Amino acid sequence: MHLMSSKPQALASTGPMRSFAANSKKVTTELIEINEDLMGFNQYLTEYYKQLASAWEGAQKKVNLKAPEVPQDVEQIEAFKRIWIDIFDNDFTELFDSKEFGENYGKLVSKELELTKHWNNIANVVLQSVNLPSKEEIDEVYKELHSLKKRVGKLELELKKKETKKNA
Amino acid sequence: MHSESKIDPKILEEVLKFSKNVIDAPKLVSAPDEISLEVTPHDTVHELDKTRLLHYRPLTEKQHKTPLLISYALINRYHILDIQPEKSWVRNLLQQGFDVYMLDWGTPTSMDKYLDFDDYVNGYLDSAVEHIKNESSNEKISLQGYCTGGTIATAYTALHPESVKNYVATAPVIDGWRDTTVISNLAKHMDVDKMVETIGNMPPEFMYYCFSVLKPFEQGIEKYVKFFKNIDNKKFVDNFLRVEKWLGDTPPIPGELFKQWIKDIYQDNLLIQNKMYVGGEHIDLKKIDMPTFTQIAVGDHLVSPECSMPLHYAIGSEDKTLRMYPTGHVGMIASSLSQKKVLPELGKWLAERS
Repeated sequence: MHLMSSKPQALASTGPMRSFAANSKKVTTELIEINEDLMGFNQYLTEYYKQLASAWEGAQKKVNLKAPEVPQDVEQIEAFKRIWIDIFDNDFTELFDSKEFGENYGKLVSKELELTKHWNNIANVVLQSVNLPSKEEIDEVYKELHSLKKRVGKLELELKKKETKKNA
Repeated sequence: MHSESKIDPKILEEVLKFSKNVIDAPKLVSAPDEISLEVTPHDTVHELDKTRLLHYRPLTEKQHKTPLLISYALINRYHILDIQPEKSWVRNLLQQGFDVYMLDWGTPTSMDKYLDFDDYVNGYLDSAVEHIKNESSNEKISLQGYCTGGTIATAYTALHPESVKNYVATAPVIDGWRDTTVISNLAKHMDVDKMVETIGNMPPEFMYYCFSVLKPFEQGIEKYVKFFKNIDNKKFVDNFLRVEKWLGDTPPIPGELFKQWIKDIYQDNLLIQNKMYVGGEHIDLKKIDMPTFTQIAVGDHLVSPECSMPLHYAIGSEDKTLRMYPTGHVGMIASSLSQKKVLPELGKWLAERS
């Protein structure tokens, strides 16, 4: 009678909420870390747009210098468009080719991946609460499957080669 | 004082015409799913996992003895080599009397994230080569590798020279440190370990971003302006939509394969230094000692000429040819220049050795 009434959590031991509650601290930790990484992500994203804006400004100045007059007819518009596209493509390619852009973009993607990792970890808590395999567990199955397929494939190919030699 | 600004009536006429074309566009163009990119008739003669080996039906009575297998790139799909009859790489080769096969890498899913270079080189490509050898009763075949398919084909040819009679490298990705493209800059700064560990396969969206930074204004604005200006030109529209559909359909790249490709080619540049290993086997480019034809596009902004050319000088072949063409990465394989210049030269070279 005492056990039945004083330990209601035992009743819920097979349901999702017990497992979720046990791991809720993990979810909170992940959320805090997401917040920190989001700040880093925003920093690199701001730098990314700064680089784009600066390249745009520089290219537009070059266009203004090269084609200061307002185009008056269809031919002039066409020529202006060509100048604009060539200068913008050149300047932006120069930016995308630069070490500064590459480094910042690399860090931006890296931070985005950190956010994805936290998201995956939260999803794993939810998956475990309903007795579903986590991403890591599924990955292990994929790895095992890949290894087995590789071994079977190589054996089959060897066998085929031997058979062909035999028949030749 | 009153000043009157005059606008050239031709400008107004152009603006009105352009606006009308934009409005008419939905009535004049097909939806992407109405366009079939399967142009030249072929049969699927072999399958392994998600890969398919396609065998094109002959267009000539007599054919050269040695069949040709094309190892297409890992980015986008093989359709660009057969995008439309007048610009089809495959059809042109068939018309020149070659027996053409194509390896379709298929669409990897999450469970394929552990597929690596070894699977592609010693698994899928080797399996396709063995199938062709058996089917055609040849001990050797001709192999063509395009772009990243050229990296795979180069590794294969170095590891299995006994199976390759002639090797054709078309804009192959070989020397990552010399590559001057935006792609190589992004690849060099990528934390590829974290990327693969976190998301598995390389998602198509990431490739689309990479494409978007290549000549962004020519490709992102001018291309579409030209499209609307030519909306009445049925041939132009058809070609445009085919290429657009092809561009928008890139499969994911298996994680482990992508990781090794970025590290060994772009970051550590192992292939050209003869330091790369595939499935535990050493890739020695000097072992490529069969006739080799290297095709390079001078205006290639995806794989720069400096990235492809070193292959010609690194291989062991005595019979080797290097050709450079005044075009771009796609122009080399699917344009009127490829039909008039690139393919006839390749056909002549290959015919003499097939």
